[in-house]
Amino acid sequence: MVNRNLQSESTDSQYAIETFTLTKIFTDWWGRNKVVAVDNLDLKVRYNEVFGLLGPNGSGKTTTIKLLLSLLHPTKGRALVLGGDSREPKITARIGFLPEESYLYRYLSARETLDFYGRLFGLNAKLRKMRIEALLEMVGLQAMAHRAVGTFSKGMARRIGLAQALINDPELLILDEPTTGLDPIGTRQIKDLIKQLADRGKTVLLCSHLLADVEDVCDRIAILYGGRLQSQGRVAALLERADKKQITTGALSADAIEKIKRVVQAEAGQCEITSPMERLETFFVRIVTEAEKQAQPTSGAVISKSMGFLAAKSAESILDKLVAPEGVIHSKPDGAKRNMKVPGPSPGAAHGLEEVRDIKPVQDEEVLRSLTDAVEPTSRPVRKKETKPPTVPDVEPEQAGKSILEELSEATENGSEESLRRDSDAGGPDDEPRTGEKQDA
Amino acid sequence: MSRGQEKNKMRSLWAVAKNTIAQAVRMKVAVIFIILLIVLLPLMSMAMPGDGTLKGRLQTFVSYGLGLTNLLLCLLTIIVSTYTLASDIKECQIYTVLTKPIRRFQFLCGKLLGVVLLDLVLLAVFCGVIYGLTVSIPAMSGAGVEEIEGVNNEFFTARAALAPIVVDVSEEVREKYEKLQQQGQLPAQLLPAKVLAELTRQKELEKRAAAPGTELVWEFDNVRPFEPNDRIFVRFKYDVSVNPPDLNVYGRWLVGDYRQYQFGAMEMKTPIYVFDRKDIIRTFHEIIVPGDAVASDGYLAVVFQNIPLNDTVVIFPLGEGLEVLYKARSFTSNFILACLVIAARLIFLAAFGISVSTWLSFPVAILTCLVIYFTGSMSEFVFESLDFLTVGWGRFYSFVIMPVVKLLPQFDQFNPTENMVSARLLSWSFLGYVFGIMICIKAAILWILGVVIFTYREVAKVTV
Repeated sequence: MVNRNLQSESTDSQYAIETFTLTKIFTDWWGRNKVVAVDNLDLKVRYNEVFGLLGPNGSGKTTTIKLLLSLLHPTKGRALVLGGDSREPKITARIGFLPEESYLYRYLSARETLDFYGRLFGLNAKLRKMRIEALLEMVGLQAMAHRAVGTFSKGMARRIGLAQALINDPELLILDEPTTGLDPIGTRQIKDLIKQLADRGKTVLLCSHLLADVEDVCDRIAILYGGRLQSQGRVAALLERADKKQITTGALSADAIEKIKRVVQAEAGQCEITSPMERLETFFVRIVTEAEKQAQPTSGAVISKSMGFLAAKSAESILDKLVAPEGVIHSKPDGAKRNMKVPGPSPGAAHGLEEVRDIKPVQDEEVLRSLTDAVEPTSRPVRKKETKPPTVPDVEPEQAGKSILEELSEATENGSEESLRRDSDAGGPDDEPRTGEKQDA
Repeated sequence: MSRGQEKNKMRSLWAVAKNTIAQAVRMKVAVIFIILLIVLLPLMSMAMPGDGTLKGRLQTFVSYGLGLTNLLLCLLTIIVSTYTLASDIKECQIYTVLTKPIRRFQFLCGKLLGVVLLDLVLLAVFCGVIYGLTVSIPAMSGAGVEEIEGVNNEFFTARAALAPIVVDVSEEVREKYEKLQQQGQLPAQLLPAKVLAELTRQKELEKRAAAPGTELVWEFDNVRPFEPNDRIFVRFKYDVSVNPPDLNVYGRWLVGDYRQYQFGAMEMKTPIYVFDRKDIIRTFHEIIVPGDAVASDGYLAVVFQNIPLNDTVVIFPLGEGLEVLYKARSFTSNFILACLVIAARLIFLAAFGISVSTWLSFPVAILTCLVIYFTGSMSEFVFESLDFLTVGWGRFYSFVIMPVVKLLPQFDQFNPTENMVSARLLSWSFLGYVFGIMICIKAAILWILGVVIFTYREVAKVTV
């Protein structure tokens, strides 16, 4: 696995997914062309990257995935998955697929479902049992393992769907709208899982129209509209705004703020200092976790359990279990890059200072970290690091979406590696809350 | 291919089969059929008196019991086989299955294996119940020794039936036909084939007719009783040209190795039994003959002498007019064969159901299967009607309609229930024929058709 990844990184000709003028035209009963769902698509997904396929409803995302998996036949062109035909068992054995809805056998229990898919992969009884337990624990459904999947809520079915996609420890994971139907915590967990899988050298094709999901986890994205590729490139490169800088610090005295303002004004002129807003996702997770800690009764999903599937060390060990039988535990071809952390204030922090933020109280961050952070050590009360200014300001959602699309359509694909920032990705929750403030002129 | 890969393949095939069974069982429909059979079979064994005799009761129970099991299991097979694949496609579970390392034909084979296994288990259970109840009916009925002896000879047995060799009359028929043609007496409204068939029938009947004072000799080869000293049965029915006043025919029957008379043997190696009988016309009768009448090479002759007193020509109708029956196997083995014939039907229906649901939705597929099932249950009528309706269609009929019609199953021609009722032997060659025609040819062709369609079709729905 490692070798291939390294090889594929070095030679650009090998892709995990590669399509050549892939076209799908749906015809009516008389054979007349009705809809062009995918139009001359040339998609290239490298090994060991998280690739986001974006687009509005009906833009051909799901059709593309169905074409990749040979569930539909292309009208023109062809698709290579892991270098071969996705109808070949030796190729499908290395793929994990979560369809747009969790199409599961309603009459099977959660455990039977995973057992069924495990058998399809030809896994032996021992390995199957071990992985099923690990996955059930990971998706937080161990207590409901004997319940028929048909009685599950959409989110719970989604979790089992995800578990079945992971049962073969796939090299390539194809996820179609993985977060639909999931509560914010589940969404966060899936995003963290994707990051961890990427850290382990997996390739992930993520298909979504939820921009926030994609932005958080993807290395590269492609935007489809009307079945055509409108834009593709590295997320960081596409979204980076080189003309602005953002600095985050711990609590500062009014005096210090004044000093910083003076420095910045001397340098560049304009500067505004405010306390950053917490992200709604972070806020939600914190509130629900506090309620859970007070043992408030609920008939819904139990957070501590559902969080368990990616919580701190357990997630690490579960993933290890999944990978272990193949003898590859900590293979991270570009792990250094992915796990890169910015330990303290960057040397250039003093330059170009435009904004100084307040860090939220330590306990909030710790709660969150205890729930979702798999890698980061917990005690680091105040961290300073340089962050890029947010490209998506927290304005009205429509506006945000629009501005992203506008910017993306203007941007061209940029292959520069250094612009990729995985520091915030790997840790997830240890990411500082983003400021919702747009700098003032 | 390595053994490990083979094992993996089997594992995935078995996973699909197991899932199919789970689906059928948890669908409730299987449960309903099972409950119906569990309740109905014992009830039937107690409540059906038949014609009042013990034999009648046994015949009614076996006939209805096997008939009901056959019908319900066929319906269950049709429902399960069409639902299992059609619902996977409709509910999209197929997306997650076919993207796993399993080939499409393997997936179909797994489905078929599941349905067939379910069928075989249910068939074994219900046939076991019918068998158990059947053999315990005589003891429960409180019948006398004589009656029990009777059913042992005539019901709890598997009798082979030998029809006499049909004399070749084609030459005579041809001569007669030519004569009629020369005389211009051929009926104009009938096709030549029909005329020939009618002439043949007439000639064959002539060979089976005995004028007063004459005799008819039938010779049989390969009479092999189950045990050498078992009895053999001569089963016959009289037809007459003129009804006798008391509707009875007086006849002398000789049964044994008749060659000993013809060739003037010095001493009789096997006995020849003589029976003087008076029997009502147009009803079946049986003459019970000791088994030692059969020559060591399996030869047996049956001679009927029409006593002049009768004053009428006695005719033995074609078909079952005269047969020699002997116990060739046990009731149990015959019963098992009957169940295997039913199993062949179920396998055909399972293959057919899955095959049509590779390209039809559930409602259409189930309707198609039901139509085929009921058509197959009266195939003789359907075939004859088609023959009649398509006269003059020529090549279109022979090359288009005929091959399709030939794929129809002929359940009525392979009906094991009748054999059980009349205690007739179901031979292994018959079973082989049923499996050969119904499974290896017809089901296989339909199955391959389904596999090809499924391999090349798009399984995903059009959603844009």
